[in-house]
Amino acid sequence: MTRVLEIEDLSTHIQLSRSVVQAVGNVNLHIDAGETLGLVGESGCGKSITGLSIMGLLPPGGKVVGGSIKLEGRELVGLPDAEMRKIRGNDIAMIFQDSSSSLNPTKTIGEQVAEPVLLHRGGSKKEAVDRAIEVLDLVGIPGAKERLSDYPHQLSGGLRQRVMIAIALSCDPKVLIADEPTTALDVTIQAQILKLLDDLKERFGMSILLITHDMGVVAGRADRVNVMYAGRMVEATGTKEIFSNMRHPYTQALLASIPRMDQDNTKTLFSIPGIPPDLTNPPPGCRFAPRCAYTKSDCQESEPSLSGSEDHVVACFHPVMDGPLKPEKMVTLSHGVRERAGEGETPLLEVIDLEKTFPVTSGAILKRKVGKVHAVSGVSLTVRRGEIFGLVGESGCGKSTLGRMIVGLERPDSGKVLLNGEDIFSLRGRTLAKKRRDLQMMFQDPYGSLDPRMRVAAILREPLSIQGVESAKDQEARSIALMREVGLPSKALERFPHEFSGGQRQRIGLARALTLNPKLIVADEPVSALDVSIRSQVLNLMKRLQVSHDMAYLVISHDLAVVKYLADRIGVMYLGKLVELARGDDLYSRAAHPYTQGLIDTIPLPDPEIERDKKKRVISGELPSPIAPPSGCRFRTRCPRAQEICAIEEPKLRTFGDQHYAACHFPLVEPLEEAASASGQTKI
Amino acid sequence: MAGYLFRRFVTSLVVVLGISMVAFAMLHLISSSPGRAVLGLHASPKAVAAFNKANGYDDPIVIQYWHYLLQLLHGNLGYSYKLNQPVTSVLGENVLRSLYLSGVSLVLAILIAIPLGIYQAVRRNHLGDYIVTSGAFTLYSMPSFFLGLLLIQAFALSLKIFPPEASQSVSVIGVIEDPRAMFLPILNLVAIQVAGYSQYMRSSALDGLGQDYIRLARAKGLSQKAVLTGHLLRNSILPMITLIGLSVPALLAGNLLIETLFNYPGLGLMFYNALQNEDYPILLSYTLIAGVLTVAGNFIADVAITIADPRVRLS
Repeated sequence: MTRVLEIEDLSTHIQLSRSVVQAVGNVNLHIDAGETLGLVGESGCGKSITGLSIMGLLPPGGKVVGGSIKLEGRELVGLPDAEMRKIRGNDIAMIFQDSSSSLNPTKTIGEQVAEPVLLHRGGSKKEAVDRAIEVLDLVGIPGAKERLSDYPHQLSGGLRQRVMIAIALSCDPKVLIADEPTTALDVTIQAQILKLLDDLKERFGMSILLITHDMGVVAGRADRVNVMYAGRMVEATGTKEIFSNMRHPYTQALLASIPRMDQDNTKTLFSIPGIPPDLTNPPPGCRFAPRCAYTKSDCQESEPSLSGSEDHVVACFHPVMDGPLKPEKMVTLSHGVRERAGEGETPLLEVIDLEKTFPVTSGAILKRKVGKVHAVSGVSLTVRRGEIFGLVGESGCGKSTLGRMIVGLERPDSGKVLLNGEDIFSLRGRTLAKKRRDLQMMFQDPYGSLDPRMRVAAILREPLSIQGVESAKDQEARSIALMREVGLPSKALERFPHEFSGGQRQRIGLARALTLNPKLIVADEPVSALDVSIRSQVLNLMKRLQVSHDMAYLVISHDLAVVKYLADRIGVMYLGKLVELARGDDLYSRAAHPYTQGLIDTIPLPDPEIERDKKKRVISGELPSPIAPPSGCRFRTRCPRAQEICAIEEPKLRTFGDQHYAACHFPLVEPLEEAASASGQTKI
Repeated sequence: MAGYLFRRFVTSLVVVLGISMVAFAMLHLISSSPGRAVLGLHASPKAVAAFNKANGYDDPIVIQYWHYLLQLLHGNLGYSYKLNQPVTSVLGENVLRSLYLSGVSLVLAILIAIPLGIYQAVRRNHLGDYIVTSGAFTLYSMPSFFLGLLLIQAFALSLKIFPPEASQSVSVIGVIEDPRAMFLPILNLVAIQVAGYSQYMRSSALDGLGQDYIRLARAKGLSQKAVLTGHLLRNSILPMITLIGLSVPALLAGNLLIETLFNYPGLGLMFYNALQNEDYPILLSYTLIAGVLTVAGNFIADVAITIADPRVRLS
């Protein structure tokens, strides 16, 4: 096989105003023709900087300080910019994570796709446009010719990502660098885009450098995988090997901390202690040593270099030899016994037939209503005391709106939210304010949800002051206790949010939600902004605090594995409707709704065996507009089982087992008999 | 698009109508009895009353406003008893002369500020950026007339390259034909405006340079020049459009000082003289013009934005 790209001893530094980030050091990798190389690691490990180093597109202050990058034997490091420009977009193309910001909002997609063709291939404008139509067609843009004059904002996220791929493909590159190509997308769209990349690779024999944090994404398609940690390449081998026969303790620990579908959720999740080192001042010796379970004294003295056989190299003095971490070797603890309310008791939270629409207006001054977005359409559910309820669905399905209504941040058009039997929307003023202490929220964005100008102490004390509880002295004692509970030193109270890492900030967010001893915390995507090794720490913390504080969670997430691990019962939403509701195990083992099954099928699992054998049952199409949702069953436009009746009659929730309900005319499993269904229908 | 523009235009008209109401109410409050002002302190109350009655100044305010509005629609802005001629004829070519001064300096300022701001953003925290920023802040913090005094001292009095006074030609054509005399006032206005605009442009271009689509444009293999002109320019100008639209009336205020300083017979100088004469009809016409310019500036900026930014193209 011919070697297309070869990197040796690459070092890239980024000069900041007062320090130098040693972002990438001594990285070796190679890609052969027609091969997909997965480059995985957590944020800040240098995987993107490696990709940008190849392209010569480093951010300001970034510079390749050593090593070589060869494209088909030709050295790229030190190549003058004029020469490098002929390679960029022509021989090596790159696609980025966020298609909504990566396309120029003021240029039509036709112009943007034709631009590199005109640049690298010359020829007339007409020829470039013809090529643009050809590649847009290739990446599956329906009616490519008609859409040439569309602007990026007129396309959905999935289509925009396809346009970006079309730009990259337009000049038939030898190497395609895909930097987190599907991270910003929903799972169903992610599956479509990944499939497209696979097909294109097959057809054109390109080599792909797939940069991702998601082990599931590489499992299904990479031929080989390189793992990076803190700017260093730590392990490189075949995909199958990396999952079943890894050598580096970091690879082993990373894979062990991903919540699996069959995870025992009464036990703590395995997690790597600590956080990655600061790359402006990396520790001497092995960079993983401070977090490594196998560390010995020599690990801290000198840095291990990559060694091993041709097809398996590892940078470790004490490589692991026993494959994936065995469950019995993981230090896992029971979460403790939660006291959960029985079936007969009044539920803690009862959501009854909640509806919410948002007006769509047109015109800048004289706003006219031209329609409504049906965000949440008649959702009912209950959360019992001590229970964790999971809510899953793709973006735009209304799960966040539902969460905001439950904590009273948004007023529903109709329906009720009962907390301990009392309708929170019938309350006004002071009584409502008082009630709010029982309902708290934990947000997704650990950066945006904490006031950057408030010290942590002030952030934790504010809810207490608003609710008028406790004296200043007690408030202080309470803040210190809370910090201890979420595993942060009390000294940290005097610091500002920006001084913390993402995981620590999420801990602060949890502490803030806990200050008033709420009965229910609505956690909206609590860990989706965090890296795998940090995520498991926060998940464990959330579980532990739930037991010690005797509260319930409503966890909203697009990540089914996270919800499966956290939740007792799970509700699946699609386009404003609750389509299925079941206990976690039931949902995964015998999903009744085709959408639920489709979601489960499309999650990339960190297991090459399953991923490759998986029949690619990709949910086709995209989420319909919530302004004009389909009649009858809202999923029917994308459903493989849809028949005539689905467009006419909206399916009702039917019973499929103990606490298992789904709304589908043609379910995947047989419902219980109608009589039982009818009685079960109202009481979910 | 056409429908949107039409609605936008109608709302602008409504705002202008409101401005005229406020302007008229103010005129009425300040000088409700023009007879006294015209006939002097020694005139008999009877004569004053007769004058007011003859000219309709004793009608109810609503009727008076109605007449004023009808006059406005015919382009009649009132009568200056101090100068003993209609306001419109006082305004006369002053408007055009001011328009020339403001227009030329605004266009020049934009043409200089945009590339300058982009240059600064590209050379961020390098020597060139520091020099331009220092210069811009010096000019920005300087009162416009003070800069004018410095310019006159340096170029007119010491070096004697340019005359200290702007063109005194009565016709606009005459003014245009005398660029040497107009050099200093235009330079003065341009310098002050470039100072502000270039810094806005710098920060807007810096925002733009950090965007992912700039990175993608580079990943296509485009040269720096192609990236800047093809991808950065249009996106970075968008925030400038609104800013320029909003600063149109400020230009009028800037003219007030510059025109007075260079003794240039424009709206600013007219306003300054009317202020000293307590010539209220003229002052309020100026206010009305300023109000209309504000609305027009906004309207033009909105239209320009809808053309420049495809995301706000409304149906």
